[in-house]
Amino acid sequence: MTEIIAGNDSGNNEVEKPRFRVVWLVYLALGILLLGVLSFVTFRPILVLPRITLAPGFSLTDQDGNRLTNEDMRGKITLYNITHSTCTAPCPETSLVMKDVQDQLPELDTGGLPVELVTISVDPEHDTPQELRSYADSLGADLDRWHFVTGPVERLKWVIGGGFRLYFDHMEDGRIVFDPGFMLVDSRGILRAEYRNADVQSERILRDIGLIADEIKNGDGANKVAYEAAHLFMCYPPR
Amino acid sequence: MTEDCEIEPTTDNEIEPIEDGGTEPIEDNETEPAEDNETESAEEKPGFWQRYKWLFIGAAALIGGFLVGLGIVRFADRSYSYHGTVIQSPHRATDFTLVGLDDRPVNLSDFTGKAVMLYFGYTFCPDVCPASMVELAKAMELLGKDAEKVQVIMISVDPERDTTEKLNEYVTHFDPSFIGITGRENEVEAVATMYGIFYEKHEGTAATGYLIDHTASVVTIDPYGYLRLIYPFNTPAEDIAEDLKHLVN
Repeated sequence: MTEIIAGNDSGNNEVEKPRFRVVWLVYLALGILLLGVLSFVTFRPILVLPRITLAPGFSLTDQDGNRLTNEDMRGKITLYNITHSTCTAPCPETSLVMKDVQDQLPELDTGGLPVELVTISVDPEHDTPQELRSYADSLGADLDRWHFVTGPVERLKWVIGGGFRLYFDHMEDGRIVFDPGFMLVDSRGILRAEYRNADVQSERILRDIGLIADEIKNGDGANKVAYEAAHLFMCYPPR
Repeated sequence: MTEDCEIEPTTDNEIEPIEDGGTEPIEDNETEPAEDNETESAEEKPGFWQRYKWLFIGAAALIGGFLVGLGIVRFADRSYSYHGTVIQSPHRATDFTLVGLDDRPVNLSDFTGKAVMLYFGYTFCPDVCPASMVELAKAMELLGKDAEKVQVIMISVDPERDTTEKLNEYVTHFDPSFIGITGRENEVEAVATMYGIFYEKHEGTAATGYLIDHTASVVTIDPYGYLRLIYPFNTPAEDIAEDLKHLVN
């Protein structure tokens, strides 16, 4: 009995074999694809920064009394901080980190993509363009790449509070309190990184500027899918 | 599925005789002199896993393959290459309230379930705004039935001259489904700031009155209320329509 069945089956077997292989080829292909996806997630060959939200629109006045708008920053990677010129310890001196970044920028290869810095003062009453200029000088700011701006308090509230989600307020005793922070905006006007403390390492900011520059340089054409996959799998650098 | 089922007996027989001979030779010997039917049922009992092993493996592989396939399809779906600039905001787009026709309040959240395209402009706008509105109207036409799932809203940055009546007359001229909203000067500025829009008045000619410089990009919010896509000025209607078709389905 068993012999007969075996005989029948071996006959079947010959017919089945090619189909059998096709099925397994499909499984093999799927397995390789799954492995590829898994290894992409595990090894994170490309790191990207999240596309958090739109950076706020603004029109403010700079240290020369000129208008500076978010449209002027389009096409450039921009690092923002908020402070005011009379901010000295114990006030969080975030501008010192900005200075550090400025000094190290020439060594960073951004593939020709300009990187600029904007310091927004939350004290428009005191920080006239002249004051901002002397503040810039005291920091050793390169004014070709670093802008110092301010504007009406109501507008600053929308930009800093509404747009960048950082708190600031003028106290009744004249003190100004604010959340220290740095905001990194890409050349398309999208907020890519937020650093919500005063003692951020400038190296980390520079690394992130480099990541944005890499993505903008390479993220089009054939590599677009790879970069989109990196976004999809949240291949973000360590915070 | 059929392949697996047909393969099954082959492998059964390849394995079973060995198993039977090895593990339960006594039972085999006992049943064999009896009827054939009994032999089969007796063989089935000890070799249940052996008998159905390939069926299970096949089924598991099929389910696994299906899941992987689903994952790939979902990935392909999500990695659809949008023409617009993509944003994956973890926060829902900030809600706001401005006024529409007949001074009725209009909230962004009123349109949850539809993709919303926000355009900031004004009716006196000489060239940029009409060009953008024409493209958006063309995109709506290209969307066909999906246009029902899209709401175009023009926010006037010139509340001084744009009454809600005038504004709505202006936008419906491009497409009857478009709506126009505005508000007090500082309300409009607050909304514009949040959506990355800059605008500022400047002097025009005597004929035009003052003009307003403004960011001319279109901000797109998905049906769930998340900021998703930005279209710079001059994006062709075809690109917008293709993206939106994807976004609303």
